[in-house]
Amino acid sequence: MQSSLVNFIQVLRTHDVRISPAETLDAVDVAASLGYANRSLLRDGLAMTLAKTQEEEVIFMHCFERFFQQDLADFSAAAIPANAQDSSPSTNAERLAADFTATQAAALQLAAETNPALQILMQTSLMQSLVGNDRTELTLAINHAAERMGLQQIQLFTQKGQFTRRILDALGEEHIRNAVIALELSESPALAVLQRYRDILREQVRDYVEREYLLHAEGKTRQFMDDILSKTRLNNIEHIYLYKVQELIRRMARKLASRHSRRRKLLKRGRLDMAKTLRKGIPNDGVLFNTFWRQVRKEKPQILAVCDVSGSVAAYAKFLLLFIYSLQDVLPEVRSFAFSSHLGEVSEYFEEFPVEKAIELVNWKYGGATDYGNSLMDFAKLAMEAINSNTTVIILGDARNNRGDPKLEILQSIYQRARQVIWLNPESRRAWGSGDSEMLRYQTACHFSAECNNLKQLERIVDQLLKSTR
Amino acid sequence: MHSLDFPQLASVEKIEQGFESYGYICSRKIATAVFLAFQLRKPVLVEGPPGVGKTELAKTIALLLDIPLIRLQCYEGLDEAKALYEWKYGKQLLYTQVLKEKLGDLLQGAHGLAESVAKLHKFGDIFYSEEFLEPRPLLKAMQQEKGAILLIDEVDKSDYEFESLLLEILSDYQISIPEIGTVKARTAPMVFLTSNNTRDISDALKRRCLHLYIPFPTVELEERIIRSRVPDVDEQLRHQLVEFVHSLRQLDLKKVPAISETIDWARSLLLLHAQQLDEELVRSTLNVLLKYEEDIEATDSELRALVRDGTITRQAV
Repeated sequence: MQSSLVNFIQVLRTHDVRISPAETLDAVDVAASLGYANRSLLRDGLAMTLAKTQEEEVIFMHCFERFFQQDLADFSAAAIPANAQDSSPSTNAERLAADFTATQAAALQLAAETNPALQILMQTSLMQSLVGNDRTELTLAINHAAERMGLQQIQLFTQKGQFTRRILDALGEEHIRNAVIALELSESPALAVLQRYRDILREQVRDYVEREYLLHAEGKTRQFMDDILSKTRLNNIEHIYLYKVQELIRRMARKLASRHSRRRKLLKRGRLDMAKTLRKGIPNDGVLFNTFWRQVRKEKPQILAVCDVSGSVAAYAKFLLLFIYSLQDVLPEVRSFAFSSHLGEVSEYFEEFPVEKAIELVNWKYGGATDYGNSLMDFAKLAMEAINSNTTVIILGDARNNRGDPKLEILQSIYQRARQVIWLNPESRRAWGSGDSEMLRYQTACHFSAECNNLKQLERIVDQLLKSTR
Repeated sequence: MHSLDFPQLASVEKIEQGFESYGYICSRKIATAVFLAFQLRKPVLVEGPPGVGKTELAKTIALLLDIPLIRLQCYEGLDEAKALYEWKYGKQLLYTQVLKEKLGDLLQGAHGLAESVAKLHKFGDIFYSEEFLEPRPLLKAMQQEKGAILLIDEVDKSDYEFESLLLEILSDYQISIPEIGTVKARTAPMVFLTSNNTRDISDALKRRCLHLYIPFPTVELEERIIRSRVPDVDEQLRHQLVEFVHSLRQLDLKKVPAISETIDWARSLLLLHAQQLDEELVRSTLNVLLKYEEDIEATDSELRALVRDGTITRQAV
């Protein structure tokens, strides 16, 4: 039972519930003191040690139901022809079923006397429990076979057939196959009976593999998917996956937020204020009982996010904004601007509407052909006064200016005033400066410029940003 | 360190019964958590919306086991001097002043500075002994001979640093005091931490605790709670008022009414000799349930539908 508990914890882990070895030990203790007799009691008890948040508890309940499924596979009911069940009242059904199994067994026995292949088969434990409908025995056999074949390693749905076959082989299904062939050759009337047994067995194993696949591989497949998504160029992501990406961003944002909010608190206390400590010590006969600390006064940092929302870059801008606004709890004051041919402040959209809606509005209002020169001028007019040594300016754009005037001098004056200017370019570094790209010139007026076109890069940059804004 | 044996906590059913005798009606889940906390000697982190009886749970256990309840209310800026221990500075100071004259006697016969200091070293730690230690709730809980219920209330209001401070206490039931050494609990206290989820508790703390989430109760459970707390309310009214509170919880309110408010409301209806709910009665007593003017206004327009709904369900039952 303990190993199945450990397996269960493995399953929970693949479903994104983080469980440490210490918690595993706790779970074993819990199971030991509650016992395995009362299912719901055990479930609640385990939930208390393994699931640490409400969301995790939902996942836990879901997995628990699936993993500790109570019903055993049924090998008899399906064997009864439908008419036998329908025509009889339910009270008689059981007796009829028993009768039916008995006649079937008798038919097989009869055929076995003349057929050596069938005779071998009839002596295998598999066939005996099949005929006797020994559900516990069969379920156990399937479990063991699955364990030997490493079914828990299943990862892709394409492996399902392969595992089904392997488990059937391990159960000794080849005897059934041989007997079926032999019966076919001799055109025995027992053929149909045996075929039915074979089909039931196959069906049960298939179902079993299916269930295990859902249990073990579902989580793994999702992790795989998340991994792929976070490395794909953002504008290549299919529309149907967008909601997944948003969820990923939120998760990344939560991670970063918890990492960075913590350090901020630690920095709050300043150095020892010796003078004040001495002064306050005078009434105590000069003994310094209470210490006083210099408060660190910090100017509130500020972030200005400037996003190109013209067609080529819109997808990236969307994710950057989503990221930044998901981080609002840890990030200081954020103002955002959007531009293509002209520029405007869009912060109020984010205050009024939920992030997704706000981004849509921004795209709709400012999308169009790009003019960096003009937009920089607009930006200077709007925000130049607000830029000081506590300001971080993030510009997201491909720097393709349609051969217009880049107005580099504006960016340079921003560069001189701001604490840092970060330029994120979704194009790969090799393309910078090619054609109408002004990136190489703009780069000279940035503290930091980076290629940024997938979530991994985005996360790294935002992480850096958070470090530098404190 | 040893743990006492409480027959009241021998099984989940016994705990349920024990709680009931003190008027605390709980779900099976809560009783399981208490049982496990006792069996495994683990703290319980109780989460849930305000007013579902998180604090009450700890109080009831203290009553049930007849051991002291030591409560630490958390707030921003709570530090070890207020939670763990503090030196009795005043007493130390007073003693040093009083003993100043003795110093001469003590050092008699010592030649030179080195010898005097060596002599002083023999008395070194007198001022940092338990005599001069002012125990705060956490240390006090460790010192109880018969064990105690330690309630760390609203731990989410404290700072991150304070959480780390709790780790040693919660996993080993001991406190390290640099001047003295580690103080082990005489009897491991049963620890309950409550949180209203205003921020995430750190993983390290969560890992050491059993996690118990108390949601709002079901209609059936809440009726049992009202029956036990306000027994004089008659059956019909009780059902009606609980149904009404449950429908209120479905609305988008600033603060949804909790169990404690349901109890208060039941009491006030009793005082008004109400036999059954009607719109006028509800309107005039709504301020017992809802604590924000906006909430009362928002509910006002839907009151008629809500009250009628309540009567329909009652008839159906």
